[in-house]
Amino acid sequence: MTAWLLLAPSLLFLAAFTYWPVIGVTLRSFTQQRYGQQASWGFDNFRRLAADAHFGHVLTNSVLYAVGTIIPSLALALGFAMALRRPGRLATVLRTVLVMPQLIPLVAAAALFVFVFLPGEGLLDHYLAYFGRHATNWLGSPDLALWAIIAITIWKNTGYYMLFFLAGLAGIPDELIEAARVDGAHGWRRFVDVILPLLGPTFGFVTVIAMVNTLIQIDHIIVMTGGGPSDRTNMILYYIYQQAEQNQDTGLAAAATVLCVGGLLLLSVLSLRALERGIHYES
Amino acid sequence: MRKLASAAAALLMMGSAAQAATEIDFFFPVPVQGKLSTEMTRMVEGFNSSQTDVHVTPVFTGAYDDTNLKTRAAVAAGKPPAAVLMSANFMREYAIDQKAMPLDALIAKDGKTPEAFIEQFFPAVRPNATENGHVYGVPFQNSTPILYYSVDAFKEAGLDPEKPPVTWQEWVDAAKKLTKRDGDSLTRAGLMIVEQYDTLGWLTSGFTMSNGGEYYNRGWGGEVYYNTASTIGAVQFLDDLVHKFKVMPEGVSDANAVASAFFSGRAAMIVNSTGALGFVRDNMKTPFKVAFVPRAIRNAVPIGGASLIIPEGNSPERQAAAWKLITYLTSPAVNGSWSRFTGYFAPRMAAYDLPEMKDYIAKNPDAKVAIDQLAYGQPWFATFNTVGVRKALEDQVQAVLSGKAKPAEAMAQAQKDADALLRPYVEQTALKLPQ
Repeated sequence: MTAWLLLAPSLLFLAAFTYWPVIGVTLRSFTQQRYGQQASWGFDNFRRLAADAHFGHVLTNSVLYAVGTIIPSLALALGFAMALRRPGRLATVLRTVLVMPQLIPLVAAAALFVFVFLPGEGLLDHYLAYFGRHATNWLGSPDLALWAIIAITIWKNTGYYMLFFLAGLAGIPDELIEAARVDGAHGWRRFVDVILPLLGPTFGFVTVIAMVNTLIQIDHIIVMTGGGPSDRTNMILYYIYQQAEQNQDTGLAAAATVLCVGGLLLLSVLSLRALERGIHYES
Repeated sequence: MRKLASAAAALLMMGSAAQAATEIDFFFPVPVQGKLSTEMTRMVEGFNSSQTDVHVTPVFTGAYDDTNLKTRAAVAAGKPPAAVLMSANFMREYAIDQKAMPLDALIAKDGKTPEAFIEQFFPAVRPNATENGHVYGVPFQNSTPILYYSVDAFKEAGLDPEKPPVTWQEWVDAAKKLTKRDGDSLTRAGLMIVEQYDTLGWLTSGFTMSNGGEYYNRGWGGEVYYNTASTIGAVQFLDDLVHKFKVMPEGVSDANAVASAFFSGRAAMIVNSTGALGFVRDNMKTPFKVAFVPRAIRNAVPIGGASLIIPEGNSPERQAAAWKLITYLTSPAVNGSWSRFTGYFAPRMAAYDLPEMKDYIAKNPDAKVAIDQLAYGQPWFATFNTVGVRKALEDQVQAVLSGKAKPAEAMAQAQKDADALLRPYVEQTALKLPQ
């Protein structure tokens, strides 16, 4: 009874701001109602979503964005964590520098990067001009815009993920690495066969965080490209916003929300399962 | 307990007695950079101290789109603001959705007919403020696209800065002379236009209208004319500027890229809003001039800007208070002073009869060009689902500018996408026939 009383405040908040909206959006996704129509139940929203070419583009972009940001930023984060895991003055300074982007709000960083990527006058083109490269329309070219966005996201997130790997590495007992060394394992063998398996729980956690980030981090897209050119940098969350707020089509928005939250949940469970299979937990 | 309640009631009554003025809130956006927000607050304070019946709290609500969202949310929550400065191209949606109230009754109280009332404003801004003869918004600040060009670049290319291009042919000829290349790359573009979402649709509608077209159905929100000769021709013109004449950079240039290229001499001519006049004056280091946007078949530019509206759901008392504010803000003197401060033109025609306004126009010849071009102003694109329907076109024009699509097939696709978005409204109106 006391336990329930103690839980009550957070439970109330969870119910009001998480569980109820989840139920509400699920119900809305199965409600067919467009301008001036009577509401009825059915799969019309999902059918329209499947037929919408824009949703197809947005899904492709989101997958590219996820793969393009998660793999490099996790690899870099792990590399930096390995290099900087031993305490020292230089390591402390470098760690701070790497975590710095995390302290800048994404929307503010995006406002700055608009000027870094400015064709001709921007910081990037200014330096590339020394190598004889002409002005490049980084954010206005359908072939480059998504990669520019991905680059910023990697820059922004790597330091944050490194913190988790540093914590994970600190949790690995030195004796295990020592034992491997005594057994004659080289640096790379020790990394692959001892350190990586022991980092399993960290990997599982960081991968899920990174996946959620690719879904919710769209601040820079809104500021820098508005999803353009021609939807080339548009992502699922911004698509949902466009349907709900610009087109007043909350049914389509709800269907897209249900699909992508469901998909993300599935992916998270699968990746945790896959990563935990080889995981060694300390008892 | 009863004593406490009566004491509370007495306190409440005292409160309302001391506070005879009607308290209302007013949502306003700031779509351009600068000191506009402070100036708006100062203007509202001017209104508050000019009388004692109404006290207005100004609420800054972000950009035009944010203001739209916040107003819709407030109306849905049953707590609408008494007055909003709303982007004029959302006006039709507000009328269709019955989210803004017709102002005819308030206008009648002042002894005017809706027609006589709206005739106090420039003809070009009237269509976006009215729907089927009812007044829904009172125009407050407006702009049009305009051509900016560098005097130095013109002289260097052997062109006369006093004779800017007037037709599309002259425009292309001038742009070719003004363009500088290093291999395939443009080191100075002859021309750049703002091609990001929102602005691109606005400018394309202008080129379409100049090319003889209509762009959208002005009387009813269910039709757009994308897959027509006038629009395809206008988009082909943009395609040619990039890929045939090679005087405009490939891809999409946003407002920052266009402005900085103009300031640094990497663009000789640009098309931007008259609302950017102050910004260009402050940042352009070499002499520049402005001119009408060159024409194909006729001179035509779309109107941009915002009108004052009263959202649905306000009490008669709050409506009357909001109307008082609106009347003040759109009076010739106040409307004129806002125009001089911002660079927008004043939609209220009588503002230009005031001596201080005549003075300003005499001192700023570029402001005069903007006013003269207003004679060719056309209403701003407004349909059901305006933003989505506009984006359907913009996605395709961006693909053309990037060399990923050809104008004819791109406009066929844009028409298809727009029709799909308009369909629910069409079914409930034009196709809803007697049973």
